Amino acid sequence: MVELAARKHVQFILSKAKEKNSYESVLMEHIRMNGHTGCQHDSGGFGGNIGHDPHILYTLSAVQVLALFNKVDVLDVEKVANYVAGLQNEDGSFSGDMWGEVDTRFSYIAICCLALLHHLDKINVEKAVDYILSCKNHDGGFGCTPGGESHAGQIFCCVGALAITGSLHRIDKDLLGWWLCERQVKSGGLNGRPEKLPDVCYSWWVLSSLIMIDRVHWIDKEKLVKFILDCQDIENGGISDRPDDACDAYHTYFGVAGLSLLEYPGVKPIDPAYALPVDVVNRIILGIKA
Amino acid sequence: MDEEANAGGLLSQFEQILESDPAIDEIGFVHPSQFVNLNEQARHSVPSSSGSVCNVLCSAEGNTMFWNRDHKLGISTEVLIPLYREAKHALMAANRTGIESEIMNHSRAALLISSDFGTAWHSRKIVLLKKHKLSTFLEELIFSVLVLSYAPKCEHAWSHRRWVIKSIAGKCSTLQEIVTKESELVEKIAERSKMNYRAWYHRCWLVSYMTTEQSLHELKRSRKWAGLHVADHSCFHYRRQLMLSILEDRCCKQENVSSSYSVKINQLWKEELDWDEMLIKRYIGREALWLHRRFLSLFWIKHFLTGHTGLPSHWKHKTSMNNDFGIFVDHELNLLQSCSIIPDNNFDDYQAQATYSATYMLWLIKQIPDSSGFEFREKLRTENLKALLNKACSEMSSTWDSLVAYAETSDHYAKES
Ligand SMILES: [Zn+2]
Repeated sequence: MVELAARKHVQFILSKAKEKNSYESVLMEHIRMNGHTGCQHDSGGFGGNIGHDPHILYTLSAVQVLALFNKVDVLDVEKVANYVAGLQNEDGSFSGDMWGEVDTRFSYIAICCLALLHHLDKINVEKAVDYILSCKNHDGGFGCTPGGESHAGQIFCCVGALAITGSLHRIDKDLLGWWLCERQVKSGGLNGRPEKLPDVCYSWWVLSSLIMIDRVHWIDKEKLVKFILDCQDIENGGISDRPDDACDAYHTYFGVAGLSLLEYPGVKPIDPAYALPVDVVNRIILGIKA
Repeated sequence: MDEEANAGGLLSQFEQILESDPAIDEIGFVHPSQFVNLNEQARHSVPSSSGSVCNVLCSAEGNTMFWNRDHKLGISTEVLIPLYREAKHALMAANRTGIESEIMNHSRAALLISSDFGTAWHSRKIVLLKKHKLSTFLEELIFSVLVLSYAPKCEHAWSHRRWVIKSIAGKCSTLQEIVTKESELVEKIAERSKMNYRAWYHRCWLVSYMTTEQSLHELKRSRKWAGLHVADHSCFHYRRQLMLSILEDRCCKQENVSSSYSVKINQLWKEELDWDEMLIKRYIGREALWLHRRFLSLFWIKHFLTGHTGLPSHWKHKTSMNNDFGIFVDHELNLLQSCSIIPDNNFDDYQAQATYSATYMLWLIKQIPDSSGFEFREKLRTENLKALLNKACSEMSSTWDSLVAYAETSDHYAKES
């Protein structure tokens, strides 16, 4: 089997960070978090960039990045937590911003963010959990809102939120595990929905969910490792969605994160619910100093 | 010419094109090299009856920047970055001054270049709320179709439409008509943007705004499309949402609902099962069709064959129910039988068919309530299914081991209790 070309991937990511004038990076500037202080609004929420409106998505990104570098204390924690908590609706769901679109992704983001800030007390956790459970489908999976089609990304968010709030006992793990393990295709890769092609980024969403519900032994882990390694560009670094496709930073991150969950030798362990290194989560949530 | 002045001209040129042709219904980004082909095609095609002309706008250097013909607008990929920057700055300035027409114009220009620019969508919402006019809300539905023409998966555009519909619901007499049109739009977009989760999510969202008659009509109407796109799982999920809403409606109204309505729903379910079986036999090895069958069978058993029907006096006919259940089980076993034959040629599809039929059975064993599942388990030994799975798809043997073990454990529990 080919090995992980770790050094090449680091170079690949660093080179991507320097491309500031490409078509993608200009038009995607709303998701490029440059200076954090400039992106924070009076409301306490973060926008994707200077001049962009706040959204719960960028607020979690900001908190995660600061958590990673042990710099959460530069924030007005109270203010950020109030912004996030203010997005909870009467039925327990969360809106992404003041315009009201509801999605279980926002439930995860809110819960993850508030857990990292030690402020879960600011929301009605019970109602938040009940809302997530109301988005469960007959196939065991979860969608964006009640009745929404099951999707690996949404499932990760729902399972992650339930894991953080200690509510995993409220779902049928076997039924969900069934849907998740049927995402593995013959090549060993995982897809995100029925009839879709396998994709490295879905390896992460499906795999982390399987780990959280303790059903990861239902898939063939070795074949998945091989699939991810086959998606590497050994010469120039980077990981792509499928073997022989073009590499990007997004799939490189999720590829390495997937290998970490698969306990690939030499990769730092990552927490499946917070999507942060285990030592960072231990430091913040459990107060354990490394 | 300095860059700033050039870019400034760009935005006003772009906005002028949009103003002069309000019927533009499609936008695309075109690489400079492709304009040559486009012009070539335009020259050779016969002018249409509407007498359409091709409008081309070039830069000072003679490079094509905008290309408009038959209300299809091509924008050169070379001008995207300066145009976006200019539109964004103009929009920010307009937001500060609060001049509504400028906000609408510049946000439109910006969103036709970068559909994910959330702040621009928000600026429009603020103006709409201030104006508070039904016609301006409805114009947003037309504008966001244009965005979807080049970015069919754009979450902002879909969510903007939902926001508009929520805002006008209750104030608009043509809501049912709008819902129908939305549904048609999704189908049109799904045709060229395959497996578009965002588009289908939008269609499922519409179900809550539909009357039962509308849901029944949608179910009928979307059948043909589904039959032609059997790999698009989202379409089948949409049908399930329609069926559930129809079923739920019956459950809510059960006291004063006529029994003929119940018979009608029973029939509808039966027809869907037959139709699904027909597709399964025609299109070999399609996962979406088998997953649809899991749902249909589960609810068929739950609502029509066992005691959870909500039908008054259902329990009086228990014997006949049991009989119906036996017929159902035998039918599904026959289907399994016919789908588990793997001929030597055409390997992959038939292997997939056998695999899906076996996991379907395993799933049913697991999902059927213990009291009625007994008959199933008697007739179907899990070891046979395991053998079939390993024959059809040995690559996934570890998964089959887990699933069969899981089905067997519950089997064991059922026998003990
Ligand atoms: Zn991907």
